[in-house]
Amino acid sequence: MPAVDTLDLHVQPGEFFSLLGPSGCGKTTTLRMIAGFETPDEGTIAVGGRDLTRVPVHRRDMGMVFQSYALFPHRTVAENVAFGLRMRGVPKREITERVATALGQVALAGYEERRPNQLSGGQQQRVALARAIVIRPAVLLCDEPLGALDRKLRQSMQVELKQLQRRLGVTLVFVTHDQEEALAMSDRIGIMNAGRLDQVGTPADIYDRPASRFVAGFIGEINLVDGTMAGGRFTARDGTPMPCPAGSDGPTTLALRPEKITLGAPGSGVADGTITDASFLGDQVIYTVTTGAGAVFLVKERNSGAGHLRAPASAVALDWRLDAAVLIGRA
Amino acid sequence: MSAARSVYLTANVAILIFLIAPLAVIAIFALNPTPYIQFPPVGVTWRWFQKFWASPEFTNSLVLSLEVAFAVVVLSMAIGGAAAIGLERGRLPGARLVTALFLTPLMLPAILTGLAMFQLLLSFGIGRPVWALVLGHTVVAVPYVIRTTLAVLSEFDRRVEEAAAVLGATPTRVFAEVTLPLIRPGVFAGGVFAFITSFDQFPISLFLVTPGHETLPVVMFNYMKFDLDGTIAAASMVSILLAVGVVFIIDRLVGLRATVAI
Repeated sequence: MPAVDTLDLHVQPGEFFSLLGPSGCGKTTTLRMIAGFETPDEGTIAVGGRDLTRVPVHRRDMGMVFQSYALFPHRTVAENVAFGLRMRGVPKREITERVATALGQVALAGYEERRPNQLSGGQQQRVALARAIVIRPAVLLCDEPLGALDRKLRQSMQVELKQLQRRLGVTLVFVTHDQEEALAMSDRIGIMNAGRLDQVGTPADIYDRPASRFVAGFIGEINLVDGTMAGGRFTARDGTPMPCPAGSDGPTTLALRPEKITLGAPGSGVADGTITDASFLGDQVIYTVTTGAGAVFLVKERNSGAGHLRAPASAVALDWRLDAAVLIGRA
Repeated sequence: MSAARSVYLTANVAILIFLIAPLAVIAIFALNPTPYIQFPPVGVTWRWFQKFWASPEFTNSLVLSLEVAFAVVVLSMAIGGAAAIGLERGRLPGARLVTALFLTPLMLPAILTGLAMFQLLLSFGIGRPVWALVLGHTVVAVPYVIRTTLAVLSEFDRRVEEAAAVLGATPTRVFAEVTLPLIRPGVFAGGVFAFITSFDQFPISLFLVTPGHETLPVVMFNYMKFDLDGTIAAASMVSILLAVGVVFIIDRLVGLRATVAI
């Protein structure tokens, strides 16, 4: 089985594009094909109209940042950053200037003479970033660059990386399995599954209008209700009619984000049910509601103040706006 | 707990004594004025060392041993280093078998290896030139370099090489700028073993040296057949100190500690 199968991907100049998917979906292989470490059996890879399919790695003029940083352990920070310029035969004086600029851009001025093993993980990743951008690549490839950092550091690095990418105007292809990271940073996201691109779109597109069951389930939490469309109306398998946008007749699945469901007094909504479980997350509460027909829904409600938490086993009604739900074809 | 600890300590001290005691005996023998082993020593003298340095037989053989060992180190690092890279990276069919073959000289008794080489040289009518001695030592030294280099290569993060390639380094430059500097500690650690193997080599040398061009261990053996005085102990001390010195210098230069389990 091929790691990547029939992939058609267009990244716009200056775009922050994320390849998102579970491990083994082919996202890293795709990135390695762009970099030139893997050769596709068929098809082409081009940047700015230049066909790179048969061009060896060292002549592709790309920047790359690895999850393991991959710094040269036997060289200083400055030597690490200077490496790409040295390979390009840039004059010594210019190297010194550009290394200083690049280290300034990642807030590491003054660290020139350190060795990689004298730096923290976050600092090492900044050096890796400086080393990649100092050659002014047209394309910057990032393979889970923040995966080895702790959560707090990762979030601040996300903001920095995004700002740096904007400032430099570099086209960035970012591989991650972290959906929050992809949603927060990307201009567009490509969701990969089993070697194929399932959906490409803006973070809002992907989140609000998932094109497949896989995408719906991979990004965030979602309620999926199997049923049938007939005459513009959706009926769940248990016989409950449910509001949804127009769609063609036939068996289909209704997808509904938990935060788009509102809870009301029994009898006032789409279906009545009882609260069978509640998880208190601080800013919000996730309720599990089981309807009279036995269907289970997740509902997220904002924690708007003390005393508003719903008691277990209390009776509620589920309701949502027509356009809150999306229909996705059977995958 | 503390009983187990004292057993552990005692065992360690006993093993250390077992390892160091022969060295102490040689040191005492080399410095003691009497021409036979005597305990307790009756004094301290340099006469055995002076006798060693004054004997052209000993000094010539010491020079030959050092020359051969140096050549063996260079050859075995080049061959062993290259072989290890090929075995680890080459995706060769039967790489495991070839690795095992490369390591067989370690498992064969050296006296057999020496005899086999002697017969090979005889059957080709080559005689016993010094380069044959060097090659003979190299055969048993190469496995050490392969082992130590493979140990470093197995821990090697190949992303570092990929990073260099993306940055514009041709395969040749990746090797020269990244691969070689990073495997150097492993190759040099193997080089230390190669030096000791060659400098200390007796069974193979016995078959491959010619009269008048003998290495130090062979000269020492011949000397002991007829004389047993402090000179032999002094010769031992010189060769031990030289070996320790080489290990120390290489450690200072490349840091053998960087090398993992061998």
